Amino acid sequence: MELRQIVRRAITVRHNPAKRRVLQQCRFYATPTDSGSTAGAGAGASGQQGDIQAAAPITFTTNSDQFAAPRAELVQDRSRPRRTRRPDHAGGRDDHDQDLLLRRVRIVPASPSYFTATPEYMDNLLELSSLLRAHQTLPMLPPGQAPRVAWKTIDQYKTELAEPVRVKGYGMLIKLLRRLNHIHPSLMPAEVTEALEKYKRHSQPYMNAPKPIEVNEYGVSAAVGRRKSSSAKAYLVEGTGECMINGKRLSEYFGRLHDRESAVWALKSTQRLDKYNVWALAKGGGTTGQAEAITLAVAKALLAHEPDLKPALRRAGCVTRDPRRVERKKPGHLKARKMPTWVKR
Amino acid sequence: MILRSLVLRHGRRALPRPTTPLRQSWRRCYASQIERTYTNPLEDQLYVEGGPDATKAQAINNLPSRSEVAPDDTVAADWEFFRHQKAVTGDLGSALAPHYKPHELLSNPPKPSDITLELLMASQSHIGHSTSLWHPANAKYIFGVRGEQDPIHIISLDVTAAYLRRACKIVRGVTERGGLVLFVGTRDGQVGVVVKAAKMAKGCHLFTKWIPGSITNGEQILGKCRKKVVDHLDVEVEGFEDQLLQKAVLKPDLVVCLNLPENYILLHECALNNIPTIGIVDTDCNPTWVTYPIPANDDSLRCVQVIGGVLGRAGEEGQELRLHKAKNGIVDYQQNHRLEKPKEKEEEDGGEERSRGGRMLRAGDE
Repeated sequence: MELRQIVRRAITVRHNPAKRRVLQQCRFYATPTDSGSTAGAGAGASGQQGDIQAAAPITFTTNSDQFAAPRAELVQDRSRPRRTRRPDHAGGRDDHDQDLLLRRVRIVPASPSYFTATPEYMDNLLELSSLLRAHQTLPMLPPGQAPRVAWKTIDQYKTELAEPVRVKGYGMLIKLLRRLNHIHPSLMPAEVTEALEKYKRHSQPYMNAPKPIEVNEYGVSAAVGRRKSSSAKAYLVEGTGECMINGKRLSEYFGRLHDRESAVWALKSTQRLDKYNVWALAKGGGTTGQAEAITLAVAKALLAHEPDLKPALRRAGCVTRDPRRVERKKPGHLKARKMPTWVKR
Repeated sequence: MILRSLVLRHGRRALPRPTTPLRQSWRRCYASQIERTYTNPLEDQLYVEGGPDATKAQAINNLPSRSEVAPDDTVAADWEFFRHQKAVTGDLGSALAPHYKPHELLSNPPKPSDITLELLMASQSHIGHSTSLWHPANAKYIFGVRGEQDPIHIISLDVTAAYLRRACKIVRGVTERGGLVLFVGTRDGQVGVVVKAAKMAKGCHLFTKWIPGSITNGEQILGKCRKKVVDHLDVEVEGFEDQLLQKAVLKPDLVVCLNLPENYILLHECALNNIPTIGIVDTDCNPTWVTYPIPANDDSLRCVQVIGGVLGRAGEEGQELRLHKAKNGIVDYQQNHRLEKPKEKEEEDGGEERSRGGRMLRAGDE
């Protein structure tokens, strides 16, 4: 108790600038004998000790936690920077507050995952797994029925976080995201939706739906077809069976009979050759590519007029885009696969 | 590509030849035939897609795509009904006697005051390794040997309890003085307990491999991880960001390791940096790797959860004590961080002073 009183008095005295310097010397000698000296200032300044007194009796307690309790209330502060006197009182007060703050602040990690070296990634992973644990029992959509989402690629994610995230680690994150995405949409919690938003790519390619091909007010339907490196746009109107390609007639444009037949194969196979007029623009590639690009374009345009023909056109091989392109040439080969002639020595 | 018969494709002479119906390829069919042969067997079902009285065309255009599955309203209703049923009928039937619920070790871990030999025994913390695998330094923690065929060591639970209580006091003391406790458990299934303990003790967790050098070469490995400055009430203080970039990376003040054998490098680094360590020491571990060993079974997840939970609770107590004191204005610890006052303020003050001085000078001149 006595020690505590002295400390309290010392703290109040310290704020008086006149007595401060004097007190600084005696601050370190807080012994029981100091209690005899009045106000601690005069005796401390001269370095004298008062009358010799008996030490306070030692009391024993049975409290098992007696050593766990902090023993010093006032901690010496030698590392504190020297205070400079300011003429302005308000400034000095501010300075004092700042000092007090500096003595109280600590530097701590911003994230509990600090020592994993990828703290933000780990926090994300823990956040998602706790979300999943919370909503694990909610009904799910059957596999493959969930709305398709393009998640951020690992490179995008790494750039955003500026952390060395590994492929395996990102795979774990994506697995959690997919599982959360499979929660039934009618019961999807708001927090999950919010959390998933963070990991979605800005542009969602799966949201792009092709614009349906329609017959316009003039009775024309237009469609694009591609094959090899050619592309063609065909305009189809009900008519008498005329066919113009790049401003020429079919027989003028294609020298080969097979190509002529290919170009209008969609109409011919469905016996509509004399019922529609075709006006097509073809560019790129060779004759075969252009002819079969026109086939696809005409077939798509025809489907806009008569959707029922789809199975027939499919069987005639007019609906599917042929994805094959010229195979690239490889080093060490003469062409895509051809090897130079090999001679023994 | 349009596939037609090879003869047609490659033989010029083939084209003028009339294609007889008999020789016709199956691919090459005319619409007349199609209309004759093609009848939709699913007529009734398919046209529902376009609406109640839709044409074929509408129906085909409206075929469902993958992304627009109609949300089934009954699922939500069923789920609500299920939850209602569960709430109403859940507590029917026989009364359950108190029993072990595995999740409770994580959701509500035991406190240091709950440490009993019964709890330790129930969590199988006394089971050691095969006697042939033992580390002789553990002799004083070993109670005896069990079994004739495959003898195993039995750890003395008195010692375990005593050492665990001691470890609790250490964790509590460190957290009470604002120290940073790192909980490490890198085995499968230890994520939960490590994260929970770190959350309670407001420390850090590590459940993946310790990156060697995170303490001894921290600048390279943890240099980019964000730090912050907090005051005695754990409120973040702004204005030190530019200084923080210059500061050294942080080191833990205490490391609690739940699986010793896999973390030798971590413990070695701690020893090099005078960081005290607490660890679960099984009978095959070397107790000199850690400062404060807790002899127990580190292969039992339940035992690890008990010990990790108790230490986390101890940290929680320490933090509570510290915050309680901080609210009363007592801060009996100080971190030697060597931070300076935020710069902008200092510059402003300096500017004011300079301008005031200048004004005074001018006044004197006049």
